[in-house]
Amino acid sequence: MAQARTLHVRCTTWEQVDVFTTRKLRKGKLLSMKVPFETKAGAPLTLGLELPNQLVVAIDGIVQRASPIDPEPGAKPDVSRTWIEVELTGLTDEVMNRIRTMATEELEGKTPPIGSTPPALRRTSAAVVDDLPADERELFQHLSSELRRMRSAAVHDVLGVPADANAAQVRTSWKNLIRRHHPDLVARRAAPAISHLAEELTILANRAYDRLRAALVAEGNGTIVGPTLSSPPGWLVGFEDIASGGAIVRPSQPRLERVPDATPRPRTSPTLAPSTIQGGEAFEARARAMLATGDGDSAREVLAAALVVYPRSRSLRALYLVATAIVAVLRGEVMLAISQLETALAHYEQSIEATMLLEHVKKYGAERSDEMRRVFQ
Amino acid sequence: MSRAVGIDLGTTNSVVAVIDRDGAPRILTTAEGSTTMPSLVWFSPDGPVVGEAARAGLDHSPDCTVFGAKRLLGRRFDHPEIRRLARTLPYELTPAPNGDTWVQLAAGRAISPEEISALILRELRRTAEAFLEEPVTRAVITIPAWYDAAQRQATKDAAQIAGLSVARLLSEPTAAALGHGAHRGQDRRYLVCDLGGGTFDVAVVDVEGGVFEVLATTGDPFLGGDDVDRAIVDNLVRDVRQTRGIDISSDAIAIERLRLAAQHTKHELSDQPFAKLTIAELAQLPSGKGVEYNRTIRRDEMELWASPLVKRIEAPVIAALERAGRKREAVDEVLLVGGSTRIPIVRKELGRILGRDPSVIPNPEEVVAIGAALEVARLDGIIDGVLLIDVAARGISMSTADSECEMVIAQSSVVPTREHRLLATRSDNQPRIEFDLWEGESPEPARNRHLGRYAVVDLPVAPSGDVLCLIEVTIDTDGVVRLGASELVSGERLTLEQLAHAGLSRAEVLRLQKSMLEAS
Repeated sequence: MAQARTLHVRCTTWEQVDVFTTRKLRKGKLLSMKVPFETKAGAPLTLGLELPNQLVVAIDGIVQRASPIDPEPGAKPDVSRTWIEVELTGLTDEVMNRIRTMATEELEGKTPPIGSTPPALRRTSAAVVDDLPADERELFQHLSSELRRMRSAAVHDVLGVPADANAAQVRTSWKNLIRRHHPDLVARRAAPAISHLAEELTILANRAYDRLRAALVAEGNGTIVGPTLSSPPGWLVGFEDIASGGAIVRPSQPRLERVPDATPRPRTSPTLAPSTIQGGEAFEARARAMLATGDGDSAREVLAAALVVYPRSRSLRALYLVATAIVAVLRGEVMLAISQLETALAHYEQSIEATMLLEHVKKYGAERSDEMRRVFQ
Repeated sequence: MSRAVGIDLGTTNSVVAVIDRDGAPRILTTAEGSTTMPSLVWFSPDGPVVGEAARAGLDHSPDCTVFGAKRLLGRRFDHPEIRRLARTLPYELTPAPNGDTWVQLAAGRAISPEEISALILRELRRTAEAFLEEPVTRAVITIPAWYDAAQRQATKDAAQIAGLSVARLLSEPTAAALGHGAHRGQDRRYLVCDLGGGTFDVAVVDVEGGVFEVLATTGDPFLGGDDVDRAIVDNLVRDVRQTRGIDISSDAIAIERLRLAAQHTKHELSDQPFAKLTIAELAQLPSGKGVEYNRTIRRDEMELWASPLVKRIEAPVIAALERAGRKREAVDEVLLVGGSTRIPIVRKELGRILGRDPSVIPNPEEVVAIGAALEVARLDGIIDGVLLIDVAARGISMSTADSECEMVIAQSSVVPTREHRLLATRSDNQPRIEFDLWEGESPEPARNRHLGRYAVVDLPVAPSGDVLCLIEVTIDTDGVVRLGASELVSGERLTLEQLAHAGLSRAEVLRLQKSMLEAS
């Protein structure tokens, strides 16, 4: 039976509160998240939002959608998890204003005068620049903390959309984001440091948008025209979904974090699934899946991107070198491949792939290169 | 912040506009009292003469009078269109050491199109300074949307030589929509057709909640009013041969006089069904006697001569709609920009293609400059709530010594954007890695435009494959490409050396800027 549950959400910094109120909520009331229990649509749920000043705000809600998540390989199978969308019915404008007032004032270092009218809310409109701190130093700090946060965020988190966002959501969030951060909006200040930060933020937003729309298009869920992205008029079949002789998609390959979705859609290739860009391991998993299909070039690409985020990960570096070696073997450059594999081992002794491939290459040279992909399967 | 101006740097005519003290855009008039200034530079014996006054040069020494420098800006000498253009120009073109197109002046001096454009920009700057009575150091300059990275950089260099820092390179269709007041009205979907002196641009621009988005741009970089003039001239040359029995096709001065008369006649024919063309002295007979030439040209006659050019309008328009995934009925408004859209047959043809009558703007020559001035106001914070979103017109690719080109930034990525590639050393203690940067997405280098060859130098001493160079390619809001290099693991900046490049080098630009400052 549907049982009323309480879900505790803890925000340790005011930035998080700000992000929660401005970016995590859709349509002002909808919240999507993963929860460690089973639940059903229609079940009541109370959200306990803990603010950094230890104040807990209780907000009532009703689960709108719920779908179970496939257990990840390696995760304990007994932990059942559900992806839910909650409509926060208790989040009235009054409650929202209070939270935002506190967050805004804490962020700007002021004590909230009790009973004062809430300041202009942070709405994402082109005129938002007026809501940004007027003081140059504060604006600089605000933008650099935004930049720090966005640099380490996954692409969909940069835009503030759920991992399975549709074309319209991605486009709206991106537009809102650049309306906040576009360098043109701060050009009037004639402060190079601030313009630079705004440009960096816009670059991150644009890259996230370009990646997500490429993924949506690859999945047949969108079409690109210039900067716009729209849902296709009808059902589109991704090119790679059309069965071609010989190429069978192995279901076991992509060790990727699955995104649950009520309507399963064709996933063309693991290459572009945006939901998987979430951490060093996710990158490795994607790269391995590509290497298993023999696509060394794409794997290198993914690993290069990952190395920018996790430059000190030895296993990533090793895998990058392994991928380089595979590409080299396919081109017949055996000596280069061997040196790459040896370098990989020098970086990361435990790399089983590098050990196995080194043996293989030393034994067969450029021949039987097809067998190399078995290492990853 | 000093005052900034909006400049429409056109192929044939240039316009400068400012935002008045009451916040309204205002077109400035030249010393001669005209709102447009011919983009014309006469390298007279007494020094360069710019604008209306340079028309005299067309008469005396067409080989030292440069018009249409915008068509040459940032283009390679061996480009087929440049080769074709070179045959029809009265002045001579010459290849620069790096393969760019330069102009060979009769005085035995070669000059870059950047310098010529800088002279025009300096003249516009003086006009603005005379009006504002204060120094002008910043400008928004409009460029065709299809300009590649090299052409954008060349425009920026020209501005720098003229002592102007570029606040923004604004694409002309966007400027036209902005100048038309699209940001004030309701959300609309525009189709902008800009037929200027030398170029034809088509753009699908959506305006939604103050956000301008260019969905698709196409165009014909070698179609414009000048080509109509040339078509008239060609036919008149034939007419002169038939009626007077003399061949003037190799007489540069006669051709130039004919061209000026043809241009004038073309303007008259926009309003009247026929016009009279009179040239008192077209050429000289071997006896020294002057030849007079009079002829009445009917509009339908000119339309027949121009019809091969008018036919070329259709393909870019259809292609733009197709790329934008838009039916012609779904376009809310068609904007006609550029002086050549005054020609009745051009309007008729566009009306036929689009199945409707296009909006008639009272000032098609000036609307782009007004848009540029409004952009200045937008950047300075006078206009709020308007945002322009642009996409990379072409992709950027990279290649190393032996590899084919590999795409780094895809076409129609939203700018500003940045992507990176990793380059690893291939041998022990390799001191440097060289790579090339291309504009275009083809794996074959020959099909892309070469932007430059670079080298990361002073690499740390390490075994093969151990040094990973992170090359970051950034396209900024002006569509100009920037490069950065760092060592991946340590994150340390690496030195990038520019070995070869399109356009002028930084040092050359600075030297020219200095010499121009001294000259004025």
